Amino acid sequence: MYLPEYYEFCCRVKMIAGHDALEKIPEALAQLHAGRPLIITDKGVSGAGLVDTVVDAIKDGVDIGAMADDVPQDSSLKVVNHLADVYRDNKCDSIIAVGGGSVMDTAKGVNIVVSENADDLMKFSGAGALKRALRPLIVIPTTSGTGSEVTLVAVVKDHERHLKMAFASYFLLPNVAILDSRMTLTLPPAITASTAMDAMAHAVEAYTGLAKNPMSDANAIAAISLISNNLLNVLKNPSDREGRLALANGATLAGAAFSNSMVGVVHALGHATGSMCGVPHGVCMSILLPYGLEYNMRKNAHFTGELLLPLAGAEVYVSTPKHLRAEGAIAYIRKMNQDIHNATDGRHARFLEEVKDRDGKRMVPREKLEAIAGAALDDGSIFYNPEECDYEDFLMIIRAAWEGAPLDRTLIKGV
Amino acid sequence: MDDFKEITSGNKPFKRAYVAIMLWFVGRAIQAAARVDKNVKGEFKKLPEGFTFCLGVLPKGPYMIVGKNEKGRVKYLGWEPGGRRIDLDMKIKSIEAAILMFTFQESTAIATARDRMIVDGEVPHACAIVRVLDIGEVYLLPKFIARQAVKRYPAWSFGRKYIGRVRIYFRSILGY
Repeated sequence: MYLPEYYEFCCRVKMIAGHDALEKIPEALAQLHAGRPLIITDKGVSGAGLVDTVVDAIKDGVDIGAMADDVPQDSSLKVVNHLADVYRDNKCDSIIAVGGGSVMDTAKGVNIVVSENADDLMKFSGAGALKRALRPLIVIPTTSGTGSEVTLVAVVKDHERHLKMAFASYFLLPNVAILDSRMTLTLPPAITASTAMDAMAHAVEAYTGLAKNPMSDANAIAAISLISNNLLNVLKNPSDREGRLALANGATLAGAAFSNSMVGVVHALGHATGSMCGVPHGVCMSILLPYGLEYNMRKNAHFTGELLLPLAGAEVYVSTPKHLRAEGAIAYIRKMNQDIHNATDGRHARFLEEVKDRDGKRMVPREKLEAIAGAALDDGSIFYNPEECDYEDFLMIIRAAWEGAPLDRTLIKGV
Repeated sequence: MDDFKEITSGNKPFKRAYVAIMLWFVGRAIQAAARVDKNVKGEFKKLPEGFTFCLGVLPKGPYMIVGKNEKGRVKYLGWEPGGRRIDLDMKIKSIEAAILMFTFQESTAIATARDRMIVDGEVPHACAIVRVLDIGEVYLLPKFIARQAVKRYPAWSFGRKYIGRVRIYFRSILGY
């Protein structure tokens, strides 16, 4: 067990998880001295009928103030201000966010505006600008991946001024996160797979990174075990409620791990690939994860090796010699990607060249790899990566991940 | 209240003086490296005109301020932030944490991972400045110490490492 000389860990979000967790919302709101929430969601979530499920579960115990489903794919300052007006006009006293990362970020932005009675959200950007508790916020994730329900950050875009405002404060942590299997039952297999592998990458990078600590490690190990044991079953049987709930728990545990221990090279390259080529984040994560682990082997093979236990189970772990466990863990993740590829009829890409958009067009042209490597240099995740990464290093990793060939570790500098 | 003596935290003058000297020297070394080393030059070239950053210790210093003027020249701007506009503010949370870093018991990366620092500013700028600091440490420190301070000790040519080191030390001492 690795124990750093010093670490900080905070995750004070109340979790309510189960097949009927939504029904607990009225009680949770009452404990927070609230009872008239504004429900914030997006059109995709409301179109899938998920908000109706939430409303049906809570309408007898809660006086719903208003419901707004106009959150765009990227959060936006204009929408935040509009929703703050909706909140005030309808005399709401709390917020329920139903959706993914963008909906939760928007809800956090609205909460700052209504709690601080702010006219300029910019005043509260950065770290530590918020000085007191905000209005009660309950979040209900509809994918099992981002972990936003337990993170203390929000990003809101100001499209008019071309600004991306980032907020970080413990006051942005939601009061309650609801994990209910009904919220992810209809998630298509390819999205289920990529979001679950996003959560897997959160947990694996948190466990193998520089900021690891025993609290994050415990969350990460549980997350990896839940995802590894349940993902393929859920893909084969999408109505598996137990499996869906396990994945939701895994994603939240991974969120608690990485929001305290941060991430590394996989996320640095993944963010760059996403922003340069529009590849969904989870797809980047699943492809890049084994490459990031291979790249960092010189520094943290012992931690990677420990992950073979939650990934593959006790039998495989004890029958694998200690010095081969890290290789075994990486091979297991590659096999997971192959199995997911087979289970989704090839829709889950195994390497970057294979990633296609809806029209079947390749999303990551080879000539963009240099630009991706350059953009990754500016990503803050790299601070927490155990191995140094310069432009040539990033380029070597992204080229291997594009081709689908294992990393030639003899080319890593300093080896 | 007159019956009770107010206890204030110690100022730790020797530790503060040590960190102040280190910051003064690192600031001048960055100015020198920006003229001598092509990678440091390249990092500053990408930063905006008038960019200023501050590295210091909470709650009351010492500090080091380095900026890039409108002609693109990198200058050590002293130890007093004053009312200056700071684009990137990197603060070590305590003098004890600063001592761990500046006695090279803890690398910049480990200090960041252990929440020893507060960074206020654009992330790409912080990434660039951390790379500059790492290069500076390799120039200024003997290999056995620099290996503790950076994630990977670089394989530089003899000319870059030793001639560069002499030039940077010389310029840092003379302040140009």
